[in-house]
Amino acid sequence: MRGYGDPVSWTPWPLRITSTAAALLLFDQAVFAGQFLAGTFPVLHTHRVNATYAGITVLATAVAAVPVRWPGRGPIWPLAAGLALFGLVAAQIALGFARVLAVHIPLGVTIILGALLLTGWSWRYRPGRP
Amino acid sequence: MVLALPAGAAVKLTRRRLLAGLGGGIGAAVIGVPLLTGLHGSTSAGSLLPSRRPLPNPFMLPFRVPPVLEPIRRDRTGDHYQIVQRAATAEMLPGVRTGIWAYEGRFPGPTIRSPRGRRTIVSHRNDLPVPTVVHLHGGHTPAVDDGFPTDLIPPGGRRTYTYPLRQPAATLWYHDHRMDFTGPAVWRGLAGFHLITDPDEDRLGLPAADRDLPIMITDRSFDTDGSLLYPSLDPMLHHMAGVREPYGSGVLGDVVLVNGSAWPVAPVPAVRHRLRLLNASNARRYRLALDPPPPGGGGLVQIGADNGLLGAPITHDAIEIAPAERFDVIVDFGRYRPGTQVRLINTFGDRTTTPVMRFDITHTAPDDSRIPDALAPAAPPTPPPTVTRDLRLRHDTVNGMPGWTINGIPFDPRRPALTAQLGTTEIWRISSDFHHPVHLHLASFRVLGRGLGGPGPYDSGPKDTIDLRPAEQATIRVTFTDHPGRYVFHCHNLEHEDMGMMAAFDVTGAPFNGRD
Repeated sequence: MRGYGDPVSWTPWPLRITSTAAALLLFDQAVFAGQFLAGTFPVLHTHRVNATYAGITVLATAVAAVPVRWPGRGPIWPLAAGLALFGLVAAQIALGFARVLAVHIPLGVTIILGALLLTGWSWRYRPGRP
Repeated sequence: MVLALPAGAAVKLTRRRLLAGLGGGIGAAVIGVPLLTGLHGSTSAGSLLPSRRPLPNPFMLPFRVPPVLEPIRRDRTGDHYQIVQRAATAEMLPGVRTGIWAYEGRFPGPTIRSPRGRRTIVSHRNDLPVPTVVHLHGGHTPAVDDGFPTDLIPPGGRRTYTYPLRQPAATLWYHDHRMDFTGPAVWRGLAGFHLITDPDEDRLGLPAADRDLPIMITDRSFDTDGSLLYPSLDPMLHHMAGVREPYGSGVLGDVVLVNGSAWPVAPVPAVRHRLRLLNASNARRYRLALDPPPPGGGGLVQIGADNGLLGAPITHDAIEIAPAERFDVIVDFGRYRPGTQVRLINTFGDRTTTPVMRFDITHTAPDDSRIPDALAPAAPPTPPPTVTRDLRLRHDTVNGMPGWTINGIPFDPRRPALTAQLGTTEIWRISSDFHHPVHLHLASFRVLGRGLGGPGPYDSGPKDTIDLRPAEQATIRVTFTDHPGRYVFHCHNLEHEDMGMMAAFDVTGAPFNGRD
């Protein structure tokens, strides 16, 4: 039985949806990078446009982590992780425009890994269980 | 047991599975669709410029060999030629008159044949409305006559180019090289063959005379009225260089011309022929093959590269050729029965750019030609390399516009990117982001390797242009032997060249051979 003030079961859903979307869009960045490295010039433009969408989705992920804590009484670190990920994406975009590829590529791998870990946690997480 | 579960649990399980399946499907689509649609990469840097008129069927026009230009005078100083650059019309598509800019009013221009070491003096008159520059591509030419991109022939002007041609027999070509406007000028027709012959080569017994066919391959697009389409920012070609988007990475046409005719047909006897393949396209790369291949395959026997004969022939089923590259190949049509129609196809092409031309095998005929096992003598030894350079070719911002640079710098005719010493050997490590056919003026080079491996299958022999693929690194060895002065090296994707991807270099020191 669930009483007043108990964790509410909807609270992880916004995070699940946004973090999944972010993970997919971020993985697409690797797909597009592979294609312009294979010589398809217009995909460079797609890579740039999708970077914006992925960044917005990562920011949405951070916002969606708020109800996990309030009112969900869950951990606060997903919110911090979402904001950190967003900071990394912003840096990643700047590094891409500056063509600092020696950092851009490993950082891209790191961002995708981080997004996948957060997404995996959001689907395993059950409110009210420590 | 599923049947023993309460009805509600079964429904819940189904809905959960349905949602999971839907979610998984969407996820797979978000990644899978772009992954699969772009899986093949691209075979050329560039965007297709579609013609605005219905295209004819291929194989309607006859194959033409450009006429050989007669010298106006032969004397002690050399062979003297005269060429007028003017506007003209040509039949590129069946029954359609297309306006061109051309040497002697022909596209391709007339072929010049020079015996090795015979000084060749070509006087050009420019009757076109824009300045022009003539470059002999592959020639080891003194700097003053190499056609530096700012050494202009003004409209109405004349200029005489003197070529010593002290270099091995090879398939060279001449074309316009004006700074910022080479792409549209070559697209309009300013290109022709210049062959260096050699009595030593004649003695090899290779197919000769009318069995020695120059084959200039170009792609073009046509407007509704049959004129050539090209997306210049300044259609008058006076001020603003470059092309409108999305053609900044290269202009690809949808019609393949061979010696200026769309998809022509050549009737040939069933004997060996020498095909001097030249890709004079602005940006398109081709993978050429015979269809059907001869029984047993190996239809294309390469005997020469950009700057001369190979040491020994190499058998190919197909040849990948980038802009400005040349491949001299022998095709033995005696391997086909008379009556066979053999298409030269481009396996990198799409619907209209796959066919290139067709050979119709007419009859058997005597054939005393041969392909010797040894072609060119071993190249003379070169000094050991003393300089190593790194050159990075990439997409960049040039004057606030999308453009192309070498080591981050767009072309500046007044600032040489490097200085080389005559008589020294250098190693150049060249890296790319997209397809970049890199052409070096003045000197021949050898390809030492690509990536972590050795040379590719199409890198053999003396080269002046290397086909760099996307995100690739290649190493070449070049010895500067002939002439001092200021030259250029550049990407021969002409849109890249016009939008910055070129660099000047200086060669210093005394000429290797004393006199010209």
